[in-house]
Parts: sequence; C-alpha cells; structure tokens
Amino acid sequence: MNESQHLSSQYDEELSRLRTHVLQMGGLVETQVSAAIEAYSSGEVASVKTIVESDRKVNDLEKAIDDDCAHIIAKRQPAASDLRLVFGISKIVTDLERAGDEAKKIAKGVRRIYEAGHMPSQYGVGVRHIAEAALAMIRQALDAFARLDAAQAASVIRADDDVDVEFKSIMRQLITHMMEDPRTITTAMDIIWIARAVERIGDHAKNVAEHVIFIVEGRDIRHMKNKGSEA
Amino acid sequence: MQIHDQPTLKAEARNLNFYYGEAKALKGINMPIYDKKVTALIGPSGCGKSTYLRSFNRMHDLYPGNRYEGEIRFYPDNTNLLAPEVDPIEVRMRVGMVFQKPNPFPKSIYENVAYGLRVRGENNKRVLDDKVEHALKGGALWEEVKDRLHDLASNLSGGQQQRLCIARALATDPELLLFDEPTSALDPIATGAIEELVHELKKRVTILIVTHNMQQAARVSDYTAYMYLGELIEFGKTDEIFIKPKDKRTEDYITGRMG
Amino acid sequence: MQQTALTTDEIRALIAKGKLKDTLFKALGIFFLGLGLVIIFLLVGDMVMRGSERLNLDFFMNFASRRATQAGILSAWVGSLLVMTVTAFAAVPLGVAAGVYLEEYAKRNWVTEIIEINITNLAAVPSIVYGLLSLGIFVYQFGFGQSILTAGLTLALLILPIVIVSTREAIRAIPVAIREASMGCGATRWQTCRYHIIPYAMPGILTGVIIGLARAIGETAPIITIGALTFIAFLPPLPFTATEMGATAGLFEWLMSPFTVMPIQIFNWTSRPDPAFEVNAAAAGFVLMVMVLSMNGIAIWLRYKMRKNIKW
Repeated sequence: MNESQHLSSQYDEELSRLRTHVLQMGGLVETQVSAAIEAYSSGEVASVKTIVESDRKVNDLEKAIDDDCAHIIAKRQPAASDLRLVFGISKIVTDLERAGDEAKKIAKGVRRIYEAGHMPSQYGVGVRHIAEAALAMIRQALDAFARLDAAQAASVIRADDDVDVEFKSIMRQLITHMMEDPRTITTAMDIIWIARAVERIGDHAKNVAEHVIFIVEGRDIRHMKNKGSEA
Repeated sequence: MQIHDQPTLKAEARNLNFYYGEAKALKGINMPIYDKKVTALIGPSGCGKSTYLRSFNRMHDLYPGNRYEGEIRFYPDNTNLLAPEVDPIEVRMRVGMVFQKPNPFPKSIYENVAYGLRVRGENNKRVLDDKVEHALKGGALWEEVKDRLHDLASNLSGGQQQRLCIARALATDPELLLFDEPTSALDPIATGAIEELVHELKKRVTILIVTHNMQQAARVSDYTAYMYLGELIEFGKTDEIFIKPKDKRTEDYITGRMG
Repeated sequence: MQQTALTTDEIRALIAKGKLKDTLFKALGIFFLGLGLVIIFLLVGDMVMRGSERLNLDFFMNFASRRATQAGILSAWVGSLLVMTVTAFAAVPLGVAAGVYLEEYAKRNWVTEIIEINITNLAAVPSIVYGLLSLGIFVYQFGFGQSILTAGLTLALLILPIVIVSTREAIRAIPVAIREASMGCGATRWQTCRYHIIPYAMPGILTGVIIGLARAIGETAPIITIGALTFIAFLPPLPFTATEMGATAGLFEWLMSPFTVMPIQIFNWTSRPDPAFEVNAAAAGFVLMVMVLSMNGIAIWLRYKMRKNIKW
C-alpha cells in the first residue's frame, strides 16, 4: 500500500478519517458480536438491549462512511490504491453492518429461548465454539484492515471453512435432538437460527478479508477457488 | 472488464531515443500501439510524452538539431517511420495530427477540411465535396456547419474549431491519429464532445493521445502509458493502470502523491 | 514583525503622490508631441500657402519650362510613377523570395547569420552609395543607360532590405501551429508557403513594400548620381505609339527612356535664382507629400482589410 503523502494534505486527512471511522464501526460490531455470545452463554438478557441500541450507532456510522466515500469519489476522483481503498471500504461497511444485524438476531434468539425458560447452552457447546471462532475472524479481519495485511486477511478466509464445517455438524446434532425429542423443536429451531447467524458473521468477516486483499493487492478474489492462497 | 482477443499491432516503438541537440528527451522507449485502440500517454510536464507523440509523424524534422535513434515500426507494411530514407511527408500522409490549441487555417471551413486532399493533388470538386462532407461527419461537425461551409473557420467556437481540426485530419483517411492534449484549451462541454468523438473514431482509426487530464485518459483510452523523465515507466491496459498499477511511480502519479 | 498595514488616509496620500507624477509626465508628453506637430504643421502650411497659387490642373499637365509660371510637373510625376512601378516589380519578388527563403528554408548557421546581419546593415547604407553602385553596374556594366529601368532597379536595391525585413517580420508573426498544421497534413514546405505563409504574410509584406516605395519616391541622391536629367520636356514613349524618331515604340521601350522625377524637379527649381521658381518648388513639394501620405494611407487600408479575415 502506498504510504507516501498526497499533494493535497486535506485528501490525506479525508482518507485517514475514513479509515478511522471504519475501525470505529468495526469495534462496535465486534462488541455487539461478543456481547451476543456472552448473552448466549450467560443468559444475560439485559445486554440484548444494549446490542440493539448500539446497532443504531452502527447504522449511523455506515451511512456517514458511505457519505464520505461518495464525497471523496466526487471531489478527488481517487485512482489506483486510493480507488481500491474507497471502493473496498464502502463494501466493508456493508458487511460490517450486516454482521451487526446478525449479532442482533443472535441476541433476539437468546432472549426468546430464555424467556421460554430454557438454557441454550444445554444443547451443546458447539454453537459457543463457532461463535468464538466467528468473533475471532471479525477481529482478525479488522486487524488486517487496520494494518492492510493481506496475509492475515488470507488466514481469515481460510478460517471460514472451519466455521462452515462446524456449522453443518451443529445442524446435524440439533436435527438429531429434534428427532429424539420433539418438545425441543422450538428451542432447537431458535438455536439453529443463532448458529446460522454466527455462520453468517463468519461469512461477513471473510468478505471483509476479501475486500482487504482487494485493497492491498488489487486482486478480486471473490468467487474463486483456492481463496486466500498466496498468488 | 477483460479484453480477451489479442489486438493486432499498428505500430511499435523499439529502443526509441530522441535528442534535442545534446539533450536526450526520450530514453529507450519500447511500446506497442494496438490497431483500432486508443492509447493514452500520461505523465508530468516535461516527461517527454509530447516529444514521443510528435515522433510518430516526424514533426521534429521541421526543426534543426533534432535526432532520432531506434525505430518506430508501422504495420501492416512494417515500415520504419524514422528511417532516414522514409520521407517525413510520406509519414505525415499516413499519420494525422490534432494539436493542443485548435489551429484552423484562416480560411473557410470547407478549405480547411479540403486542404489535406488538395496537397495530394485532388482538385475534382465532386470528390472534394464528398470527402469534405464525410470528414465533417466523422468530426461530428457536419450538422452544425453544413449550411455555412464557406464561412471563415475562425468564426466557430473553440470546441467546433477543434472538431474541425479533427475533420481536417480525418479527410485524408489517416491510419494513425495523434492527439496532443486536444482538450486543454476547451471547456468541459466541448471536452466531452471531443471525448465522445474519440470513442467513435476508434472504430476507424488507431489513436494515440497525450493528455494532462488523468481522468480523461481513464475515460477514453484502452491502453495507457505512463512516462517520466523521458522513460516509459509503465504500459498496460487502462483498467489495470488505474486500479492496480505495477510501478510505484505510476501509482504516485495517478493518485496525486509526491514522488 | 513590523506593522505594515496602512490606514486608508495613508493609502490615499500615496495614491495622490503617484497620481501627481502621472499627471506631470502626461503634461510633458503632450507638450513635446504638440511641439513636434506644430512645427510640422507650420512647415506644411507654409509650403501650401506659398505653393497654392500654382496648384491647378496646368501645373500637372505642363512640362518644365524656363518661365516659372508656365512650368509644370508632368514629366516629373509620370517619371516618378514609372520608376516606382519598376521598383515595385523588381523589389517585391526579390524581397519576398529572399524573406521566405530566410524564414522558411534556410538552415540556421553562420552563413545565414552573416546574411542576416548584412541585410540589416544594408538598410543603413546611405542612398548615395546605392547610386554609385548602380552607376557602375546598371549604367555602364549592363548598359541600361540613364533610364527609368536603371532608376527603378537602383531604388529597388535601396528598398530591398525593407521589403525583406518586413516579409520576415510578417512571416514570424504567423503562429508555429499553423505551419505545423499544414505540414501535419502532409504538405511540402513549398505548399505550406504557397497556401499559408505567403497569403497570411501578405498584409505585412504589402505594408513593408509601400513604406519602402514611399521612401523611394522621395529619394534624390541616387537618382542624381545615375544621371537623371533635370529638364525633360517629353514623356517616355507609350507602347505601340510613334516615337519622335518615327519608329513604333515597343512594349518596354519606355524603360530605356530618359526621365526626371519629383524630387529632382523640386531640387532643380529650388536651385534657380529666380524666386518665382520657389513657388513651383513649394507646390511640387506639396504634391510629393500628398503622394507619400496617400501611399501610407493605402498601406494602412490594405493592412486593415486583409487582416480582417486572418485570425489565429
């Protein structure tokens, strides 16, 4: 990535402010996800409210960042690395915002389960495990963005495969539960929704990582086989 | 967007050096020019892009003390445009040029366009009328001037004058058309019209364009060459140059960074 | 840091001071300009006053005469006109060709440098030297005699530097872009000169030519040197008319005819002891001046008319 300064110092400021905002937004989303996971394991329903509330902040940030991107494109006509950065950021924020939405879904699912008087953790630790993995992916993807580190982004993409595999095994496990004891169907369905949301968070983290690789290397590696392998 | 078919070569610079007296202005340029494509030359002032462009029609031969080394191969006949035995007039009959400032002759619109034909000895009025109309249509000017072909060209607006100059160059069916910053003296609307015209023209003719405006290069060209201090730093498809240039110097230039 | 901002009053005081000098200089300029004009007007006025009694048709239609009141300038103005024609026909092609060559064709090297310096210097050579030169070359070497042809060629040499320099100046005023546009269309140098350079330079060239002719028409010294007659009571033969010898004149016979010109006529009259001839001299002087002024007028008009269509 090009770290030398622009002729226009204001342009430099605009770009660095943009990156700061993305990292701020990422931080919020990361907190949302980790709070949702916390709620899942501890049954702390109160945190659900804070997740919903911070979602509003995430949405505001997304809009603000999109605005800034549009302004930079209109005023500066960014090219090459700047173009990739602005373009990548506008995609990253979409994925981050959706990851935040998934965290909200998790929280709502958790509330339903607890309000029905159940303990989600009794259905196995699998969900908690992939949730930790997805959270780690988000963290790493944001880290890769902050440092524009393509190698780290590539490792996030590889990690997503593990999450997908684990998600499938959780599904199978829950289906077995439901077949054995139809009374668990309501709760199990909620947990499937939660697991599904967790898996989606992993996907979004992977997308962020793909955008980071585009920003850094100019390669669009979406929808390619052997993702993340070093070119 | 991927361009899958391999374009054919129209011209090719091979180890091209150029000297203004003792000063070396072009340093070992090797570059292809693809047929029926627009190739943009970008770079800071004094990087040699205009010098390079003007080598293609031997404009430098007009002034004493200029010297070429190397070759510009011109296809399909594989002529070396720079060979001493090739007459510069022959080269200029095959390679048209449009200049930075609109420079119509202080004559009528008709005579401006007919000039290239007249110097080739064409005096048949019907042929001239025909070609003038065709060229003016090619220059997207016909509709605006068809009723006043014998008015002075200097009465046209700047943008119209530049399109007239394009028509003048087109009248003789050049194989390669050189544009030396054709819009630097025009307003954005006239600039847009010229850019649109360039896009139309590449169906018939190969185009080499020097521009200071990087966005213009990005808009009109299929290939872009970045030059710096007389050297060709990077040549590639425009899409690639403007999204992921390979050379740090290209990157710095097109993103507006200090070198 | 020193406080440099001025108050409004200070600024006004500064401007007032500057304006005062402005006004002073303007007044001085007007004074000297007026002085020059007044002197010229007095001289011209004096000439007109003294010569006015002779300014009638007879004055133009009479030959020179020993009687001042009957003397006219017929042979003088016809001679001047014919000499100028020869001068123009000789100087224009030569001068334009030389100017075009030097600007468009000649390589810049020490030879052209020397030629250039020489042309500039030629313009400063005293006109009598041209007269001496022609006496040797045209009168004796070529045997043209003391004829209109010799006078015309002599004056052509005299104004050649002016024509060359004004041709070059006019060509230099044509933008490089026009030249490049023409060459870029595949034109040869000659085509470029023929279709562009010479036509666009024409107003400037013509101005130079006419100013040169206006200078030539007033020249006395070289014409006297080659031996123009001061007393001529006949006109050069018109083509295809009977000459005094009885033969029919050829198309160019007038070229070889003896002649006189306006300044010589004036010079002749002023050197007569009889003061009545001074009246003739004043009248002829006025006519000569009108001729020169109208030539300059034509130059200005031509330049205006031809430049109207040439815009870069």
